[in-house]
Amino acid sequence: MIEHPEEHNQDEKTPPPERPLECGECKKPISVLYTSIIGGTMTQTTMCADCPELQRRLFSGHVHQITTSHTDSTTVLACGNCGTTLDALRVGTPLGCSTCYEVFNDVLIGELLAAKRIPPRITPNKKSIPIHIGRSPGESIEMNPSLRLLALNEALNETIKSEDYEQAAWLRDQIKALTENPEKADDDKK
Amino acid sequence: MTTKNNFIFNQKKPWDDNSNTIWLASTISLQRNIEKFKFPGKLNAESKSQIVSLISKHLLKISGLTDPILIKAEDIGPLEKEFLAEHLLTSQNYNQTNVGEGFIVDSTGEFTALLNIQDHIRLQLIDCKGELENTWSRLVKIESNLGKHLNYSFLPTYGFLTADPYTCGTALIGSIYLQLPGLIHTGKIDEILDKYQDEAISISGIQGSPTEIIGDVLLIQNNYTLGFTEENIISLLRSFTTKLIVEEKSARTKIKKESNIEVKDKISRAFGILIHSYQLEAVEALNALSLLKLGLDLGWITGIDNQKINEIFFNCRRAHLLSQIQDNVTQEEVPHKRSETLHKALQSIQLTV
Repeated sequence: MIEHPEEHNQDEKTPPPERPLECGECKKPISVLYTSIIGGTMTQTTMCADCPELQRRLFSGHVHQITTSHTDSTTVLACGNCGTTLDALRVGTPLGCSTCYEVFNDVLIGELLAAKRIPPRITPNKKSIPIHIGRSPGESIEMNPSLRLLALNEALNETIKSEDYEQAAWLRDQIKALTENPEKADDDKK
Repeated sequence: MTTKNNFIFNQKKPWDDNSNTIWLASTISLQRNIEKFKFPGKLNAESKSQIVSLISKHLLKISGLTDPILIKAEDIGPLEKEFLAEHLLTSQNYNQTNVGEGFIVDSTGEFTALLNIQDHIRLQLIDCKGELENTWSRLVKIESNLGKHLNYSFLPTYGFLTADPYTCGTALIGSIYLQLPGLIHTGKIDEILDKYQDEAISISGIQGSPTEIIGDVLLIQNNYTLGFTEENIISLLRSFTTKLIVEEKSARTKIKKESNIEVKDKISRAFGILIHSYQLEAVEALNALSLLKLGLDLGWITGIDNQKINEIFFNCRRAHLLSQIQDNVTQEEVPHKRSETLHKALQSIQLTV
Protein backbone atom coordinates (compact mmCIF):
# COMPACT_ATOMS: atom_id res chain seq x y z
CA MET A 1 0.00 0.00 0.00
CA ILE A 2 2.81 2.35 0.83
CA GLU A 3 4.28 1.99 -2.58
CA HIS A 4 1.06 2.67 -4.32
CA PRO A 5 1.34 6.46 -4.70
CA GLU A 6 4.82 6.11 -6.11
CA GLU A 7 3.68 3.72 -8.76
CA HIS A 8 0.93 6.06 -9.63
CA ASN A 9 3.42 8.85 -10.16
CA GLN A 10 5.55 6.81 -12.46
CA ASP A 11 2.53 6.03 -14.55
CA GLU A 12 1.95 9.66 -15.14
CA LYS A 13 5.43 10.10 -16.39
CA THR A 14 5.29 7.39 -19.03
CA PRO A 15 7.22 8.53 -22.05
CA PRO A 16 5.30 9.42 -25.20
CA PRO A 17 4.31 6.34 -27.21
CA GLU A 18 6.79 4.95 -29.71
CA ARG A 19 6.90 6.74 -32.99
CA PRO A 20 4.38 5.02 -35.24
CA LEU A 21 5.01 3.99 -38.82
CA GLU A 22 4.60 6.95 -41.05
CA CYS A 23 3.23 7.44 -44.50
CA GLY A 24 6.06 8.28 -46.87
CA GLU A 25 3.98 11.02 -48.45
CA CYS A 26 2.29 12.89 -45.63
CA LYS A 27 4.05 11.65 -42.45
CA LYS A 28 0.80 10.71 -40.73
CA PRO A 29 0.79 7.41 -38.81
CA ILE A 30 -0.22 4.41 -40.92
CA SER A 31 -3.43 2.75 -39.89
CA VAL A 32 -4.80 1.09 -43.04
CA LEU A 33 -3.40 -1.72 -45.14
CA TYR A 34 -5.08 -1.66 -48.54
CA THR A 35 -4.77 -4.79 -50.64
CA SER A 36 -5.95 -4.85 -54.20
CA ILE A 37 -5.91 -7.86 -56.49
CA ILE A 38 -6.21 -7.05 -60.14
CA GLY A 39 -5.79 -10.00 -62.48
CA GLY A 40 -2.84 -11.96 -61.22
CA THR A 41 -1.07 -9.17 -59.39
CA MET A 42 -1.60 -8.23 -55.80
CA THR A 43 -0.56 -4.81 -54.54
CA GLN A 44 -0.55 -3.69 -50.96
CA THR A 45 -0.55 -0.06 -49.90
CA THR A 46 -0.30 1.34 -46.40
CA MET A 47 -1.87 4.66 -45.54
CA CYS A 48 -3.55 6.60 -42.80
CA ALA A 49 -7.29 6.48 -42.28
CA ASP A 50 -7.87 9.91 -43.79
CA CYS A 51 -5.61 9.43 -46.78
CA PRO A 52 -7.12 11.03 -49.88
CA GLU A 53 -5.92 8.01 -51.82
CA LEU A 54 -8.05 5.76 -49.62
CA GLN A 55 -11.05 8.04 -50.09
CA ARG A 56 -10.51 7.80 -53.80
CA ARG A 57 -10.32 4.02 -53.82
CA LEU A 58 -13.29 3.51 -51.55
CA PHE A 59 -15.62 6.15 -52.82
CA SER A 60 -14.58 6.59 -56.39
CA GLY A 61 -16.83 9.47 -57.37
CA HIS A 62 -15.85 12.60 -59.19
CA VAL A 63 -12.39 12.47 -57.70
CA HIS A 64 -11.96 9.15 -59.42
CA GLN A 65 -12.36 10.69 -62.83
CA ILE A 66 -9.69 13.23 -62.13
CA THR A 67 -7.13 10.73 -60.99
CA THR A 68 -7.87 8.11 -63.61
CA SER A 69 -7.06 10.70 -66.17
CA HIS A 70 -3.70 11.18 -64.55
CA THR A 71 -2.94 7.49 -64.23
CA ASP A 72 -2.98 7.55 -68.02
CA SER A 73 0.29 9.33 -67.29
CA THR A 74 -0.29 11.95 -69.94
CA THR A 75 -2.71 14.38 -68.34
CA VAL A 76 -2.46 15.71 -64.83
CA LEU A 77 -5.00 17.96 -63.20
CA ALA A 78 -3.28 21.24 -62.60
CA CYS A 79 -4.24 24.83 -61.98
CA GLY A 80 -4.08 26.72 -65.26
CA ASN A 81 -3.03 29.93 -63.55
CA CYS A 82 -0.12 28.83 -61.39
CA GLY A 83 0.65 25.25 -62.36
CA THR A 84 0.00 23.66 -58.96
CA THR A 85 -0.85 20.00 -59.59
CA LEU A 86 -3.32 17.78 -57.81
CA ASP A 87 -0.47 15.52 -56.68
CA ALA A 88 1.37 18.45 -55.15
CA LEU A 89 -1.79 19.46 -53.31
CA ARG A 90 -2.26 15.93 -51.97
CA VAL A 91 1.17 15.85 -50.36
CA GLY A 92 0.51 19.11 -48.59
CA THR A 93 2.16 21.66 -50.86
CA PRO A 94 0.57 25.07 -50.29
CA LEU A 95 -1.83 26.29 -52.95
CA GLY A 96 -0.35 28.57 -55.58
CA CYS A 97 -3.09 31.11 -56.21
CA SER A 98 -6.77 31.96 -55.73
CA THR A 99 -7.73 30.05 -58.86
CA CYS A 100 -6.53 26.82 -57.22
CA TYR A 101 -9.52 27.03 -54.88
CA GLU A 102 -11.88 26.86 -57.81
CA VAL A 103 -9.91 24.27 -59.78
CA PHE A 104 -9.53 21.87 -56.87
CA ASN A 105 -12.86 22.68 -55.24
CA ASP A 106 -14.08 19.09 -54.86
CA VAL A 107 -10.76 17.75 -53.69
CA LEU A 108 -10.31 20.56 -51.19
CA ILE A 109 -13.67 20.01 -49.55
CA GLY A 110 -12.78 16.32 -49.20
CA GLU A 111 -9.40 17.17 -47.72
CA LEU A 112 -10.83 19.69 -45.29
CA LEU A 113 -13.48 17.23 -44.15
CA ALA A 114 -10.94 14.44 -43.78
CA ALA A 115 -8.64 16.67 -41.75
CA LYS A 116 -11.61 17.76 -39.59
CA ARG A 117 -11.11 21.40 -40.47
CA ILE A 118 -14.78 22.05 -41.15
CA PRO A 119 -17.13 22.03 -38.15
CA PRO A 120 -19.33 18.90 -38.25
CA ARG A 121 -22.51 20.96 -38.22
CA ILE A 122 -21.61 22.15 -41.70
CA THR A 123 -21.47 19.34 -44.19
CA PRO A 124 -20.87 20.75 -47.62
CA ASN A 125 -22.62 18.21 -49.83
CA LYS A 126 -23.30 20.52 -52.71
CA LYS A 127 -20.44 22.20 -54.45
CA SER A 128 -21.82 25.69 -54.42
CA ILE A 129 -22.82 25.89 -50.77
CA PRO A 130 -20.86 28.64 -49.06
CA ILE A 131 -18.94 27.24 -46.11
CA HIS A 132 -17.46 30.52 -45.02
CA ILE A 133 -19.43 32.35 -42.37
CA GLY A 134 -18.47 35.81 -41.30
CA ARG A 135 -16.90 38.90 -42.66
CA SER A 136 -16.29 39.66 -46.33
CA PRO A 137 -13.65 42.16 -47.43
CA GLY A 138 -14.58 45.71 -46.55
CA GLU A 139 -16.90 44.70 -43.77
CA SER A 140 -15.90 45.52 -40.28
CA ILE A 141 -17.67 44.42 -37.16
CA GLU A 142 -17.87 46.06 -33.84
CA MET A 143 -16.91 43.88 -30.96
CA ASN A 144 -19.79 42.76 -28.86
CA PRO A 145 -18.83 43.68 -25.30
CA SER A 146 -20.87 40.84 -23.85
CA LEU A 147 -18.59 38.19 -25.41
CA ARG A 148 -16.38 37.99 -22.40
CA LEU A 149 -19.26 38.15 -19.96
CA LEU A 150 -20.81 35.10 -21.58
CA ALA A 151 -17.59 33.15 -21.11
CA LEU A 152 -17.28 34.23 -17.51
CA ASN A 153 -20.87 33.32 -16.77
CA GLU A 154 -20.42 29.93 -18.34
CA ALA A 155 -17.35 29.28 -16.19
CA LEU A 156 -19.23 30.56 -13.15
CA ASN A 157 -22.01 28.03 -13.68
CA GLU A 158 -19.41 25.25 -13.91
CA THR A 159 -17.77 26.25 -10.65
CA ILE A 160 -21.07 26.47 -8.84
CA LYS A 161 -21.99 23.04 -10.16
CA SER A 162 -18.74 21.63 -8.82
CA GLU A 163 -19.15 23.63 -5.60
CA ASP A 164 -15.87 25.46 -6.00
CA TYR A 165 -17.00 28.63 -4.30
CA GLU A 166 -13.60 30.22 -4.06
CA GLN A 167 -13.20 30.29 -7.84
CA ALA A 168 -16.84 31.28 -8.22
CA ALA A 169 -16.13 34.34 -6.11
CA TRP A 170 -13.14 35.21 -8.27
CA LEU A 171 -15.27 34.93 -11.40
CA ARG A 172 -18.02 37.02 -9.84
CA ASP A 173 -15.51 39.76 -9.08
CA GLN A 174 -14.46 39.80 -12.70
CA ILE A 175 -18.03 39.92 -13.95
CA LYS A 176 -18.68 42.76 -11.58
CA ALA A 177 -15.63 44.65 -12.79
CA LEU A 178 -16.74 44.25 -16.40
CA THR A 179 -20.32 45.27 -15.83
CA GLU A 180 -19.44 48.27 -13.70
CA ASN A 181 -16.78 49.54 -16.02
CA PRO A 182 -17.25 47.94 -19.42
CA GLU A 183 -14.76 50.25 -21.11
CA LYS A 184 -11.84 49.06 -19.10
CA ALA A 185 -11.42 45.31 -19.16
CA ASP A 186 -9.92 44.54 -15.79
CA ASP A 187 -6.18 44.38 -15.41
CA ASP A 188 -5.96 41.88 -12.62
CA LYS A 189 -7.02 39.10 -14.93
CA LYS A 190 -4.71 36.28 -13.98
CA MET B 1 21.57 47.90 -41.25
CA THR B 2 22.81 48.44 -37.73
CA THR B 3 20.03 50.87 -36.95
CA LYS B 4 17.52 48.24 -37.98
CA ASN B 5 19.22 45.68 -35.78
CA ASN B 6 18.99 48.06 -32.90
CA PHE B 7 15.36 48.69 -33.72
CA ILE B 8 14.64 44.99 -33.58
CA PHE B 9 16.59 44.35 -30.40
CA ASN B 10 15.31 47.45 -28.67
CA GLN B 11 11.69 47.00 -29.62
CA LYS B 12 9.50 47.31 -26.61
CA LYS B 13 8.79 43.84 -25.26
CA PRO B 14 5.05 43.24 -24.92
CA TRP B 15 5.70 41.21 -21.76
CA ASP B 16 7.60 43.93 -19.92
CA ASP B 17 4.71 44.89 -17.70
CA ASN B 18 3.01 41.53 -17.54
CA SER B 19 2.26 40.41 -14.00
CA ASN B 20 -0.17 37.62 -14.83
CA THR B 21 0.30 34.33 -13.09
CA ILE B 22 -1.48 32.08 -15.57
CA TRP B 23 -2.28 33.98 -18.77
CA LEU B 24 1.21 34.36 -20.20
CA ALA B 25 0.42 35.85 -23.58
CA SER B 26 -1.85 35.67 -26.57
CA THR B 27 -1.51 36.48 -30.23
CA ILE B 28 -4.12 37.01 -32.89
CA SER B 29 -3.26 36.82 -36.54
CA LEU B 30 -5.06 37.38 -39.81
CA GLN B 31 -3.67 36.04 -43.08
CA ARG B 32 -4.44 37.81 -46.31
CA ASN B 33 -3.43 37.57 -49.94
CA ILE B 34 -3.79 40.22 -52.57
CA GLU B 35 -6.19 39.63 -55.42
CA LYS B 36 -4.82 38.76 -58.86
CA PHE B 37 -1.33 37.91 -57.60
CA LYS B 38 -0.23 34.31 -57.20
CA PHE B 39 0.56 33.24 -53.65
CA PRO B 40 4.19 33.80 -52.53
CA GLY B 41 5.24 30.18 -53.15
CA LYS B 42 4.68 30.67 -56.88
CA LEU B 43 6.31 34.07 -57.22
CA ASN B 44 9.88 34.93 -58.08
CA ALA B 45 11.93 37.27 -55.93
CA GLU B 46 11.23 40.22 -58.19
CA SER B 47 7.44 39.97 -58.02
CA LYS B 48 7.66 39.35 -54.31
CA SER B 49 9.69 42.52 -53.87
CA GLN B 50 7.00 44.42 -55.78
CA ILE B 51 4.36 43.08 -53.43
CA VAL B 52 6.47 44.06 -50.41
CA SER B 53 6.67 47.63 -51.76
CA LEU B 54 2.97 47.68 -52.55
CA ILE B 55 1.93 46.49 -49.09
CA SER B 56 4.39 48.60 -47.15
CA LYS B 57 3.45 51.72 -49.11
CA HIS B 58 -0.01 51.49 -47.56
CA LEU B 59 0.62 49.66 -44.32
CA LEU B 60 3.31 52.06 -43.11
CA LYS B 61 0.75 54.89 -43.24
CA ILE B 62 -2.15 53.09 -41.59
CA SER B 63 -3.58 54.66 -38.48
CA GLY B 64 -3.34 52.56 -35.37
CA LEU B 65 0.36 51.76 -35.73
CA THR B 66 3.13 53.55 -33.87
CA ASP B 67 6.20 54.35 -35.99
CA PRO B 68 6.03 51.23 -38.16
CA ILE B 69 9.17 50.24 -39.99
CA LEU B 70 9.85 47.81 -42.85
CA ILE B 71 12.58 45.25 -42.29
CA LYS B 72 13.57 43.36 -45.40
CA ALA B 73 14.59 39.76 -44.77
CA GLU B 74 17.79 40.18 -46.82
CA ASP B 75 18.91 43.08 -44.64
CA ILE B 76 19.07 41.18 -41.38
CA GLY B 77 21.15 38.29 -40.11
CA PRO B 78 20.21 34.93 -38.58
CA LEU B 79 20.27 36.21 -35.01
CA GLU B 80 17.78 38.97 -35.83
CA LYS B 81 15.53 36.45 -37.57
CA GLU B 82 15.65 34.14 -34.61
CA PHE B 83 14.96 37.09 -32.34
CA LEU B 84 11.88 38.00 -34.39
CA ALA B 85 10.58 34.42 -34.27
CA GLU B 86 10.99 34.42 -30.48
CA HIS B 87 9.43 37.84 -30.26
CA LEU B 88 6.39 36.65 -32.21
CA LEU B 89 6.13 33.62 -29.90
CA THR B 90 6.05 31.38 -32.95
CA SER B 91 7.56 27.98 -33.56
CA GLN B 92 8.08 29.02 -37.18
CA ASN B 93 11.62 29.53 -38.35
CA TYR B 94 12.49 32.58 -40.42
CA ASN B 95 16.08 31.60 -41.20
CA GLN B 96 15.23 30.77 -44.80
CA THR B 97 13.57 34.09 -45.47
CA ASN B 98 15.25 36.07 -48.20
CA VAL B 99 14.83 38.68 -50.93
CA GLY B 100 11.18 39.61 -51.43
CA GLU B 101 10.20 38.69 -47.92
CA GLY B 102 10.12 40.84 -44.85
CA PHE B 103 8.56 42.14 -41.70
CA ILE B 104 6.82 45.33 -40.66
CA VAL B 105 7.07 45.97 -36.95
CA ASP B 106 6.08 48.97 -34.90
CA SER B 107 7.66 50.46 -31.82
CA THR B 108 5.02 49.14 -29.41
CA GLY B 109 6.44 45.68 -30.06
CA GLU B 110 2.89 44.38 -30.30
CA PHE B 111 2.28 44.62 -34.01
CA THR B 112 3.97 42.63 -36.77
CA ALA B 113 3.15 42.00 -40.38
CA LEU B 114 4.90 39.13 -42.10
CA LEU B 115 5.26 39.80 -45.79
CA ASN B 116 5.39 36.98 -48.33
CA ILE B 117 6.02 34.38 -45.69
CA GLN B 118 3.45 31.73 -46.66
CA ASP B 119 0.93 34.40 -47.53
CA HIS B 120 1.33 37.92 -48.85
CA ILE B 121 0.37 39.38 -45.51
CA ARG B 122 0.04 38.00 -42.04
CA LEU B 123 -1.01 40.65 -39.56
CA GLN B 124 -0.42 39.84 -35.94
CA LEU B 125 -0.89 41.49 -32.56
CA ILE B 126 0.63 40.23 -29.34
CA ASP B 127 -1.16 40.89 -26.10
CA CYS B 128 0.04 39.98 -22.63
CA LYS B 129 -2.78 41.49 -20.62
CA GLY B 130 -5.43 38.92 -21.40
CA GLU B 131 -7.50 41.31 -23.49
CA LEU B 132 -8.32 38.96 -26.31
CA GLU B 133 -11.45 40.75 -27.52
CA ASN B 134 -9.86 44.19 -27.65
CA THR B 135 -6.80 42.86 -29.42
CA TRP B 136 -8.95 41.18 -32.02
CA SER B 137 -10.96 44.31 -32.63
CA ARG B 138 -7.76 46.38 -32.97
CA LEU B 139 -6.38 43.93 -35.49
CA VAL B 140 -9.60 43.94 -37.49
CA LYS B 141 -9.38 47.74 -37.69
CA ILE B 142 -5.87 47.55 -39.09
CA GLU B 143 -6.97 44.87 -41.53
CA SER B 144 -9.99 46.85 -42.71
CA ASN B 145 -7.95 50.02 -43.08
CA LEU B 146 -5.42 48.21 -45.22
CA GLY B 147 -8.29 46.65 -47.15
CA LYS B 148 -9.33 50.12 -48.32
CA HIS B 149 -6.13 50.24 -50.37
CA LEU B 150 -5.68 46.61 -51.35
CA ASN B 151 -8.19 44.02 -52.56
CA TYR B 152 -7.90 40.76 -50.67
CA SER B 153 -8.33 37.38 -52.36
CA PHE B 154 -11.76 36.19 -51.38
CA LEU B 155 -14.37 33.65 -52.47
CA PRO B 156 -17.83 33.44 -50.88
CA THR B 157 -17.37 29.68 -50.45
CA TYR B 158 -13.91 29.71 -48.93
CA GLY B 159 -13.76 33.16 -47.38
CA PHE B 160 -10.35 34.79 -47.34
CA LEU B 161 -8.00 32.63 -49.37
CA THR B 162 -4.71 31.49 -47.92
CA ALA B 163 -1.90 29.39 -49.35
CA ASP B 164 -2.60 26.73 -46.76
CA PRO B 165 -6.19 25.60 -47.40
CA TYR B 166 -6.52 24.69 -43.71
CA THR B 167 -6.50 28.34 -42.73
CA CYS B 168 -8.90 29.81 -45.31
CA GLY B 169 -12.25 31.28 -44.25
CA THR B 170 -11.74 33.85 -41.55
CA ALA B 171 -7.99 33.14 -41.82
CA LEU B 172 -7.87 34.09 -38.16
CA ILE B 173 -5.73 32.19 -35.68
CA GLY B 174 -5.98 33.02 -32.01
CA SER B 175 -3.19 31.60 -29.87
CA ILE B 176 -3.27 31.72 -26.11
CA TYR B 177 -0.36 30.71 -23.95
CA LEU B 178 -1.44 29.52 -20.54
CA GLN B 179 1.02 28.54 -17.85
CA LEU B 180 -0.50 25.68 -15.87
CA PRO B 181 2.13 24.28 -13.47
CA GLY B 182 -0.49 23.56 -10.80
CA LEU B 183 -2.38 21.14 -13.03
CA ILE B 184 0.72 19.72 -14.67
CA HIS B 185 2.73 18.96 -11.54
CA THR B 186 -0.17 17.36 -9.74
CA GLY B 187 -0.84 15.17 -12.77
CA LYS B 188 -4.36 16.49 -13.22
CA ILE B 189 -3.84 18.08 -16.59
CA ASP B 190 -4.88 15.13 -18.78
CA GLU B 191 -8.08 14.62 -16.83
CA ILE B 192 -8.96 18.30 -17.15
CA LEU B 193 -8.18 18.45 -20.86
CA ASP B 194 -10.33 15.35 -21.42
CA LYS B 195 -13.14 16.93 -19.46
CA TYR B 196 -13.20 20.06 -21.60
CA GLN B 197 -12.18 18.44 -24.87
CA ASP B 198 -13.52 20.37 -27.83
CA GLU B 199 -12.85 19.58 -31.46
CA ALA B 200 -12.82 23.27 -32.27
CA ILE B 201 -9.75 23.78 -30.07
CA SER B 202 -6.26 22.48 -30.61
CA ILE B 203 -3.73 22.22 -27.79
CA SER B 204 0.02 21.87 -28.05
CA GLY B 205 3.28 22.87 -26.42
CA ILE B 206 5.05 26.13 -27.26
CA GLN B 207 7.20 24.46 -29.90
CA GLY B 208 4.10 23.13 -31.64
CA SER B 209 4.50 19.58 -30.40
CA PRO B 210 1.47 18.15 -28.60
CA THR B 211 3.57 15.91 -26.33
CA GLU B 212 6.41 18.23 -25.45
CA ILE B 213 5.32 20.78 -22.87
CA ILE B 214 7.97 23.42 -22.15
CA GLY B 215 7.77 25.76 -19.17
CA ASP B 216 4.34 24.28 -18.30
CA VAL B 217 2.91 26.40 -21.10
CA LEU B 218 0.03 25.12 -23.17
CA LEU B 219 -0.68 26.75 -26.50
CA ILE B 220 -4.40 26.91 -27.16
CA GLN B 221 -5.54 27.67 -30.69
CA ASN B 222 -8.71 27.52 -32.73
CA ASN B 223 -8.91 24.49 -34.97
CA TYR B 224 -11.49 25.88 -37.39
CA THR B 225 -11.05 28.94 -39.54
CA LEU B 226 -13.75 27.94 -42.03
CA GLY B 227 -17.39 27.75 -41.03
CA PHE B 228 -16.81 29.73 -37.84
CA THR B 229 -17.14 33.48 -37.54
CA GLU B 230 -14.32 35.47 -36.00
CA GLU B 231 -16.58 36.28 -33.10
CA ASN B 232 -17.27 32.56 -32.55
CA ILE B 233 -13.56 31.82 -32.54
CA ILE B 234 -12.74 34.52 -30.02
CA SER B 235 -15.56 33.66 -27.65
CA LEU B 236 -14.76 29.97 -27.90
CA LEU B 237 -11.14 30.63 -26.98
CA ARG B 238 -12.21 32.90 -24.17
CA SER B 239 -14.59 30.43 -22.60
CA PHE B 240 -12.20 27.50 -23.01
CA THR B 241 -9.29 29.34 -21.42
CA THR B 242 -11.46 30.73 -18.62
CA LYS B 243 -12.35 27.17 -17.65
CA LEU B 244 -8.70 26.11 -17.66
CA ILE B 245 -7.70 29.14 -15.60
CA VAL B 246 -10.35 28.33 -13.01
CA GLU B 247 -9.11 24.73 -12.82
CA GLU B 248 -5.51 25.89 -12.48
CA LYS B 249 -6.42 28.32 -9.73
CA SER B 250 -8.30 25.69 -7.82
CA ALA B 251 -5.40 23.21 -8.28
CA ARG B 252 -3.08 25.82 -6.75
CA THR B 253 -5.40 26.43 -3.84
CA LYS B 254 -5.41 22.71 -3.22
CA ILE B 255 -1.60 22.44 -3.38
CA LYS B 256 -1.32 25.21 -0.86
CA LYS B 257 -3.97 23.82 1.45
CA GLU B 258 -2.50 20.34 1.43
CA SER B 259 1.01 21.75 1.54
CA ASN B 260 1.79 19.28 -1.26
CA ILE B 261 5.24 17.77 -0.59
CA GLU B 262 5.90 16.72 -4.18
CA VAL B 263 5.30 20.21 -5.45
CA LYS B 264 7.38 21.73 -2.66
CA ASP B 265 10.21 19.46 -3.66
CA LYS B 266 9.90 20.40 -7.32
CA ILE B 267 9.91 24.10 -6.52
CA SER B 268 12.93 23.71 -4.25
CA ARG B 269 14.82 21.84 -6.95
CA ALA B 270 13.90 24.45 -9.53
CA PHE B 271 15.23 27.08 -7.13
CA GLY B 272 18.49 25.14 -6.86
CA ILE B 273 18.85 24.78 -10.60
CA LEU B 274 18.26 28.45 -11.25
CA ILE B 275 20.63 29.65 -8.54
CA HIS B 276 23.38 27.07 -8.60
CA SER B 277 23.80 25.66 -12.10
CA TYR B 278 26.79 26.51 -14.23
CA GLN B 279 25.12 25.71 -17.54
CA LEU B 280 21.44 25.96 -18.35
CA GLU B 281 19.66 24.97 -21.55
CA ALA B 282 16.61 27.04 -22.47
CA VAL B 283 14.08 24.26 -21.88
CA GLU B 284 15.45 23.49 -18.45
CA ALA B 285 15.48 27.16 -17.53
CA LEU B 286 11.90 27.70 -18.69
CA ASN B 287 10.70 24.65 -16.75
CA ALA B 288 12.43 25.84 -13.60
CA LEU B 289 11.14 29.39 -14.01
CA SER B 290 7.59 28.13 -14.26
CA LEU B 291 7.99 26.29 -10.96
CA LEU B 292 9.58 29.36 -9.43
CA LYS B 293 6.55 31.39 -10.46
CA LEU B 294 4.26 28.77 -8.98
CA GLY B 295 6.29 28.96 -5.77
CA LEU B 296 5.87 32.71 -5.71
CA ASP B 297 2.11 32.40 -6.15
CA LEU B 298 1.93 29.87 -3.31
CA GLY B 299 4.06 32.01 -1.03
CA TRP B 300 7.01 29.61 -0.99
CA ILE B 301 9.32 31.91 -2.93
CA THR B 302 9.92 35.54 -1.98
CA GLY B 303 12.10 38.40 -3.11
CA ILE B 304 10.73 38.73 -6.66
CA ASP B 305 7.45 39.53 -8.42
CA ASN B 306 5.54 37.91 -11.29
CA GLN B 307 6.37 40.68 -13.67
CA LYS B 308 10.08 40.08 -13.22
CA ILE B 309 9.80 36.31 -13.63
CA ASN B 310 7.69 36.71 -16.78
CA GLU B 311 10.29 39.08 -18.16
CA ILE B 312 13.09 36.61 -17.43
CA PHE B 313 11.01 33.78 -18.86
CA PHE B 314 10.79 35.45 -22.25
CA ASN B 315 14.23 37.00 -22.22
CA CYS B 316 16.26 33.87 -21.47
CA ARG B 317 15.48 32.34 -24.84
CA ARG B 318 18.56 32.12 -27.03
CA ALA B 319 18.28 35.10 -29.33
CA HIS B 320 16.87 37.36 -26.65
CA LEU B 321 19.66 36.31 -24.33
CA LEU B 322 22.35 36.94 -26.93
CA SER B 323 20.91 40.34 -27.80
CA GLN B 324 21.53 41.47 -24.22
CA ILE B 325 25.15 40.36 -24.18
CA GLN B 326 27.63 42.70 -25.78
CA ASP B 327 30.63 40.45 -26.33
CA ASN B 328 30.79 37.60 -28.82
CA VAL B 329 29.57 34.32 -27.42
CA THR B 330 30.19 30.96 -29.08
CA GLN B 331 27.42 28.43 -29.34
CA GLU B 332 29.01 26.35 -26.56
CA GLU B 333 29.09 29.26 -24.15
CA VAL B 334 25.39 30.09 -24.43
CA PRO B 335 24.17 27.75 -21.63
CA HIS B 336 26.78 29.21 -19.28
CA LYS B 337 25.85 32.76 -20.20
CA ARG B 338 22.23 31.90 -19.55
CA SER B 339 23.14 30.64 -16.07
CA GLU B 340 25.13 33.77 -15.38
CA THR B 341 22.30 36.04 -16.50
CA LEU B 342 19.76 34.14 -14.42
CA HIS B 343 21.96 34.19 -11.31
CA LYS B 344 22.21 37.92 -11.60
CA ALA B 345 18.51 38.46 -12.26
CA LEU B 346 17.40 36.13 -9.48
CA GLN B 347 19.95 36.96 -6.83
CA SER B 348 17.36 38.34 -4.42
CA ILE B 349 15.02 35.35 -4.40
CA GLN B 350 14.54 33.24 -1.31
CA LEU B 351 13.04 29.84 -0.71
CA THR B 352 10.71 29.75 2.28
CA VAL B 353 9.36 26.22 2.03
